[in-house]
Amino acid sequence: MTEATTFKAESPAREAWRMFRRNIPAVAGVIMLTGIVLATLWGTFFYDGNPYEIVWAPHEPPGVTPEFPLGTDYLGRDIFAGLIAGGGPTLAVGAAAAAITMVIGVSLGALAGFYGGWVDNLLMRITEFFQVLPTLLFAMVLVTLFSPTLFTIAMAIGVVSWPQTARLTRAEVMKIKELEYVTAARAIGARNRRIIWTVILPNAAPPLIVSATLTIGVAILFEAGLSFLGLGDPNTMSWGLMIGSNRAYILDAWWPVTFPGLAIFLTVFSVSLIGDGLNDAFNPKLRER
Amino acid sequence: MTTLLDVRDLTVQFALPRQGFFGPRPVLEAVRQVSFSLEQGRALGIVGESGSGKTTTAMATIRLVEAAGGKVMFQGEDLLQLDDEAMRQRRRDVQLIFQDPYSSLNPRARVADIVREPMDLMEIGTPEERRARVTELFRLVGLRPDQLNLFPHQFSGGQRQRISIARALTTNPKLLVCDEPVSALDVAIQAQILNLLARLKAELGLSYLFISHDLGVVRHVCDDVAVMYLGKIVEMAPRDALFDAPQHPYTQALLSAAPSLARRKSRGYVRPVKISGDPPSPINPPKGCAFADRCPKAQEVCRKVQPVLEPHGPSRVACHFPG
Amino acid sequence: MSALLQIEDLRVTFNTRYGPVTALDSVSLSVNAGETLGVVGESGCGKSITALSVMGLIPSPPGKIAGGAIRLAGEDLTQASEARMRALRGAEMAMIFQEPMTSLNPVFTVGDQIAEAIMLHQKVSADQAFRDAVALLDRVGIPSPDRRARDYPHQLSGGMRQRVMIAMAVSCRPKVLIADEPTTALDVTVQAQIFDLLNEIQRDFGAAIILITHDMGAISEMADRVAVMYAGRVIEQGRADDVLDLPQHPYTRGLISCIPALGKGEDTLREIPGVVPPLHMLGAGCAFADRCAYRAPRCDSEKPQLQAHGHHPVACHAVEEGRI
Repeated sequence: MTEATTFKAESPAREAWRMFRRNIPAVAGVIMLTGIVLATLWGTFFYDGNPYEIVWAPHEPPGVTPEFPLGTDYLGRDIFAGLIAGGGPTLAVGAAAAAITMVIGVSLGALAGFYGGWVDNLLMRITEFFQVLPTLLFAMVLVTLFSPTLFTIAMAIGVVSWPQTARLTRAEVMKIKELEYVTAARAIGARNRRIIWTVILPNAAPPLIVSATLTIGVAILFEAGLSFLGLGDPNTMSWGLMIGSNRAYILDAWWPVTFPGLAIFLTVFSVSLIGDGLNDAFNPKLRER
Repeated sequence: MTTLLDVRDLTVQFALPRQGFFGPRPVLEAVRQVSFSLEQGRALGIVGESGSGKTTTAMATIRLVEAAGGKVMFQGEDLLQLDDEAMRQRRRDVQLIFQDPYSSLNPRARVADIVREPMDLMEIGTPEERRARVTELFRLVGLRPDQLNLFPHQFSGGQRQRISIARALTTNPKLLVCDEPVSALDVAIQAQILNLLARLKAELGLSYLFISHDLGVVRHVCDDVAVMYLGKIVEMAPRDALFDAPQHPYTQALLSAAPSLARRKSRGYVRPVKISGDPPSPINPPKGCAFADRCPKAQEVCRKVQPVLEPHGPSRVACHFPG
Repeated sequence: MSALLQIEDLRVTFNTRYGPVTALDSVSLSVNAGETLGVVGESGCGKSITALSVMGLIPSPPGKIAGGAIRLAGEDLTQASEARMRALRGAEMAMIFQEPMTSLNPVFTVGDQIAEAIMLHQKVSADQAFRDAVALLDRVGIPSPDRRARDYPHQLSGGMRQRVMIAMAVSCRPKVLIADEPTTALDVTVQAQIFDLLNEIQRDFGAAIILITHDMGAISEMADRVAVMYAGRVIEQGRADDVLDLPQHPYTRGLISCIPALGKGEDTLREIPGVVPPLHMLGAGCAFADRCAYRAPRCDSEKPQLQAHGHHPVACHAVEEGRI
């Protein structure tokens, strides 16, 4: 009478991990990002340079003086030390901004998608209001209104970039709430809050996780953009700040701008590779390949 | 015998998108004044094609779809009048088995948690008692306790349907609504699930409201059968009466359309009752009998006057020319 | 006399993450003009793969025809070029799918789609092709075909769409018509209409029909001959009457007796325990052995071959040894 267990399959998360592991670009992204994070965390133990201190003549090209492998900037500050010290704040702003984006976007999107009706209408009009504001300008206004610290910058980026996440969450929630296992949860007497948190959101997670990783990349670029425009936190070294402060001399010396630019490029690139890899890993249609 | 469920004039309406910017909102009446009752320990089958309103009727009965009117008396209490919290508490007595065993189980939860969840929600028993009950239910529906910690996708369709049944039985319900419980399964597995449902009904004294498009399945499980067409019951009868002497032309057409091993191409079988076309749109139901356009017996009166459900022998039929 | 379509020892393999699996194993079938062959089995038994192989539509990779032959009027389709297969598909053989909504293109009218199918294989003007399309819609029983030809698929009901698919399939009068679960998505009264239509079309055009289904009742009403498939093999084959009235293989017997019948109301259905084994877990023996009441040691070590026994061929050691 009992059917035999047909096959020993993995849990959805394990299966996604197996898919992810086979995705060479994604694994390369993980290795690259791990390297960047380790370098910014522990780089100072191996390379003790003060990024703020004037240590040499200005605009020393890279590879000339062994003590300053990447050369110096317009004030004669060590660029390699700047890269190591600036990585932490850059990554922190990116991660924090992505977290703020997700918290606002997912909560509002889930409420709008689940309740529909006037709740949906109201929340979507608010979302649209934020969406039509020119994001960079709006962020600039926020940063200038409050003093430009890492925290306010992360807040500003989060506040301008949540609408997309909200829309994505809403669409996912609307799709999932029509599925029978949601009706099944109602049929056994589950309350709405429980249905949203334990049934719908875990099932909506894959695209949201992917979107979160991509948001980190966008937030890092955003921070760089604000710093480039001179709106960054002037007291904290970051890659964006390095580009911003050296941009006036780019025709005289390419290296003070290029190396932090390269660092931003590699970070965003590796995060995008990971995001794409997660996207593929969670896509059931690709699994049987 | 006591009446467990008595449904009176149940009506369900869906509002459709507005026609044009200021136009009126058209209303689709999916269920139109449906009445039936179900005795304790019996199974009532509701048969019909897609769009007949059979699933909506069942869902409105247990308030998973909002009713526009009528009464649903369950053990003497009108479910439609209960407030949300009272209805939530009532759900322990009315449970549901879905058609699609693939989409009705949360893919991210372990099956033991899925089966235990109703007890968590209703705060029944201690954690140990709940665990023991889950194991007991697993045995009851023919699953092994060593499968408790697996995820739904690690089971076959038939096994998932067993999990769904176990979940429905967790709170010792009195009424089980089965919405096409075997139509997504292969025939060999169908038989396993139908036998399980029959055994549970006998052993636990359950009552079923059984929705199906498959007359063979209904004949196997149900004591009474109601046939729906375009939101209305057109014939209701004890099982044998309905299958041996169908009174409504639509019931007759359904029976002659259902494929059967007794009908052999090689022996020159030609279908006796042929009906053409599709059911009319529920947005604009015809004034008279909804089946009139496809009915071989239709007369002038059928297109003008809507027939009502009236006793005819052991059956109740809504037809001007039954038999 | 050799049959119109003859499948000989067909073997199809698929590359999966479990390694190569054999989806079809020494499948031999044949169908004559004007005859309906029913192919019946549960999901995953290989009945749809058989249909796709004939049409040359096996997704490759991962699929591959690893052996055997498919002869249409003598020509081996497994050796035919892709260009030759394109010329044959639609003209000499056509297929009707389970879900008519997804097999019609939603952005063209049904008349245009049928006309397009006609123009692919016949040298006629666009106007003539459209007029032929309207005539075909009329032929398959669609009311007011002039108007319906200008409708888009979503404007038609499920039954109408399946009629459109049939009109498209028979537009070039194919010799072989493959219907893969053509009525599974439809209501019973509409299913009955489609079955009646297929029978009429066969009478008029003399096409050979291969009806793929999981429904023994449909086989009974439609088929002249039946092949029962299980785990990629044909396990029993014969005239419909013989197989349905005197089934020999324990699986066929189970399939027939587990159907809840309209006529009688017995209390317990016979059931086949267990489930179909996944293809990558097939061992050396009979694939049905795990679920079989007549299992013997030989069943686990040796695959039974399809061979004549009694009225018709069956692949079962127990039948062969007279244990059933």
